[in-house]
Amino acid sequence: MHSSLQTVVIVSIFALCYLYFTARETARQQLDIYDLIMLSTVAIIPSVFVLFPMFAEWTAIVSGVAFPFVVMFGILFAILFTFIHRLTAKIHRLEHNNRLLIQEVSIIKSEIVSASKQIKGNNSEGRTSEK
Amino acid sequence: MPKPRVLLIIPCLNEQESIEPLLIEISSLESNYSTVVVDDGSKDCTYDKAINLSPTIRLLRNLGIGGAVQTGIKYASNNGFDFCVQIDGDGQHPPSEVSKLLSSYEDAPASVVIGSRYLFNDSFRSTRARRFGGKAIAWSLNTLFRGCNITDPTSGMRLMDRKAIQFFSGSYPHDFPEPISLAWALRAGLTVKECGVQMRSRRNGQSSIVGFKPIAYMLRVLGYVFLARIVGSKSR
Repeated sequence: MHSSLQTVVIVSIFALCYLYFTARETARQQLDIYDLIMLSTVAIIPSVFVLFPMFAEWTAIVSGVAFPFVVMFGILFAILFTFIHRLTAKIHRLEHNNRLLIQEVSIIKSEIVSASKQIKGNNSEGRTSEK
Repeated sequence: MPKPRVLLIIPCLNEQESIEPLLIEISSLESNYSTVVVDDGSKDCTYDKAINLSPTIRLLRNLGIGGAVQTGIKYASNNGFDFCVQIDGDGQHPPSEVSKLLSSYEDAPASVVIGSRYLFNDSFRSTRARRFGGKAIAWSLNTLFRGCNITDPTSGMRLMDRKAIQFFSGSYPHDFPEPISLAWALRAGLTVKECGVQMRSRRNGQSSIVGFKPIAYMLRVLGYVFLARIVGSKSR
């Protein structure tokens, strides 16, 4: 079993472009290094399966499935689910922190408002007694 | 013995019609309750009306009822109140009924005292779907938590003592807070009891839980209660 030249070229170009763009975003700190590793598997795994067809065949035999692409999509799905799970947990944590911040800032703001009201009241009382 | 300091937490959203009469009603009571209004990002004049009559916290963004109530609980914790009582800003909960919750606490202390619409009060009627939902949630709480005997888990009128204030200022559910907070409290070993109170129909506005929403509400709450029982809730 072997991969055709067209397949190798298409998958390699996709992998290189994808890795380049994700690496660039990581360098700009739009993604963190963990995201880069997880996302780059989307490019690396298909490349491995295309460049090493014997390895793909072997994984299919070992895992007891008829076609290597089933193994490949299985691995990709597992990685993506892990990534999405981590992302969901992160969103909820950020949402929780955001809620806490809003509460704390709102309480502090109300304390400032009532303190400034009190100061104004004291000042006007002072002026009245001076008169 | 010094008189306990009681804070009435009034969460509200767009309650410009009812907030003023409610605060006037509270100030006319002989009991010296402190109040804090938590304005959950109202678009109307709720804040302007409330700030003239009571300390008012205006949340910078709408956090929902859970976030608003927890803000009030944090205020109670920061200011060393002995008790806090949550009452709705729409005027459904008569402030005069707060004394019943306090008396019930004095008779037999419990960390959370719920003002129940159904205990010794068959006259209170809501929609069939809401009654069914409330009963199912009460049944699940009573079945899953030993020693729990609740008839009105969705009541928004409730008293919390220092222990509950401490607990809920750290973690309070933001979705469906009334019943889920009970599950969290029971799971954490706090005691919960009920006391019969009278409630009024809302002065203005409409409930957000209408149509098929009570069924969806019930299913989601049952899920959360079940999860609270089997895996507990960890304060973040």
